[in-house]
Amino acid sequence: MKSWSSKSTALMVGVSLLALTACEEPKVDAFVFESLDQCKSDPLASSDQCDSSFAEAQTQHATVAPKYASEADCQADFGAEKCEEAPYKTSSGGSVFMPLMMGYMMGSMMGGRGGMMSQPLYKSAKSPNSFRTAENKNVGSKTGGTKVARSATSRPTFKSSTRSRGGFGSSGSRFGSAAT
Amino acid sequence: MQRIPVTERPNLADAAAEHELEYSDSKGITGWDESAYYQFTPQQIEEDIKGPAEELEDLCIQVVGRAVENEEVLSRLGIAEPFWDYIAQSWRSGEKNLYGRMDLSYNADGPAKLLEYNADTPTALYETAVFQWEWLEQATEQKLIPEGCDQLNDVHDSIVQAFPHMGIEDVAHFACNHDIEDDKGTLDYLEECAREAGIDTCSLAMADIGTDDQGRFTDLDEQPITALVKLYPWEWIMAEDFGRLVPASGVHFIEPPWKMILANKGLLPLLWGMFEGHPNLLPAFFEDDPAAATLAETGRYVHKPMLSRQGANIEIVDDGKTLLHTDGPYGDDAHILQGYHPLTEFDGGYPLIGCWMVASKAVGLCIREDKTLITGKEARFVPHVIQD
Repeated sequence: MKSWSSKSTALMVGVSLLALTACEEPKVDAFVFESLDQCKSDPLASSDQCDSSFAEAQTQHATVAPKYASEADCQADFGAEKCEEAPYKTSSGGSVFMPLMMGYMMGSMMGGRGGMMSQPLYKSAKSPNSFRTAENKNVGSKTGGTKVARSATSRPTFKSSTRSRGGFGSSGSRFGSAAT
Repeated sequence: MQRIPVTERPNLADAAAEHELEYSDSKGITGWDESAYYQFTPQQIEEDIKGPAEELEDLCIQVVGRAVENEEVLSRLGIAEPFWDYIAQSWRSGEKNLYGRMDLSYNADGPAKLLEYNADTPTALYETAVFQWEWLEQATEQKLIPEGCDQLNDVHDSIVQAFPHMGIEDVAHFACNHDIEDDKGTLDYLEECAREAGIDTCSLAMADIGTDDQGRFTDLDEQPITALVKLYPWEWIMAEDFGRLVPASGVHFIEPPWKMILANKGLLPLLWGMFEGHPNLLPAFFEDDPAAATLAETGRYVHKPMLSRQGANIEIVDDGKTLLHTDGPYGDDAHILQGYHPLTEFDGGYPLIGCWMVASKAVGLCIREDKTLITGKEARFVPHVIQD
């Protein structure tokens, strides 16, 4: 399974390079909330949008969250009691773990980008104040209306949990080259 | 069409090393022979090979259009029922084909005859597109061949131009059996072309492909595979454990599933059935067709498995007797009978003309020469030129 910590390292390298070249990624308006209630109490967010975006983020959570084969590995990245069992099994039938959803991000009506996909947010053990997307993009600690890097708003990818491998390849072992 | 002896490049060993081809001082490059080349006139290329190949491609497309609607035909080709709709769907939704190689029997005396269409997993691509072209440039520069020679060889640019139209939306994965160097080499080259076309790629072994709870295929980084360029035959994919997951996997395969109809030697009787008498076709029949018995009675035919590779399990019957036959692992499968149109001998070699099709256009030529009438694994690639 893909390790969150190894991805964090890669991201830090990327960030420092950006800083060196003084290029800043374009920012877009977004809403970040830690709960549905917090969204509904924000005068700038409509209650309907809060409901539908929260539901969408919740639905995505299990598929896009980083996955771990051990609970300890998950907690090392996200903190004690910050992980849950994912609705998947490993190829050997073992449990799969993922971080708890700590909030969600949705498009801002103000920014005219209401079509932005909403997505779940997480908080790592190392920097527990900041929200991060499932792609490990930091979107800051501010809740409510905020500005986030455009790349953080792209749709998170499916983090799979492979059940088995080796279901292809047997004919190649038997017949050899596929060449014609 | 002439076979002309020529001096090998003095830098052959270096060229081999640069292209990572197997080389020994005594035998040269494995599978490659530049002690001669074939020379064609522009007319021979245009009128006898390129034109007919594109016409044959058109006939093949008509065969596919009809076959996907006909369960009896799909069943006769040995395709299992769970894949019928899947194949038909890939055809109806217009999934694009990338490449293939038609093998032709041609000697400049009469029309080229289609022997088979390697439409799913053709190799000798790199040798055609890159190594053969480099030979032309260097042999010209070193004055080993006359000035102004050309080649039918637009393979590289055609593939690079075709990739952006293949419907790849995200990362393209490339998979084959990594234990076979030739296969891996061909696929690596295709991957390079895709990258040149600006496509993100990722390569893995067929055996490393995984499947997840949602029936998707995954790579070793747990990313779902959405587009898969495979150098692995469709009939193997369908027969293996994960084959049953293919139709619902959502993976966009290249070559697309409908290409398996053309890669099957059952294509030849289907073509003959629809276009009997076409100058570039040989009579061909499914073995269990009564018409096959009539062809067999002439005592002059070729017996081929519908699915075989590299000249395996082929029998040539001439004058009522077996003239030549090859062994292989495909002998128990269904067969076809095809009219016998022997390759012509040139200085002890039997050249088989391969015409490369990219996005259904004839864009390249490769000639493989064997010491026998059946072109097999020992065949060597001989370069060609076009010269007035």
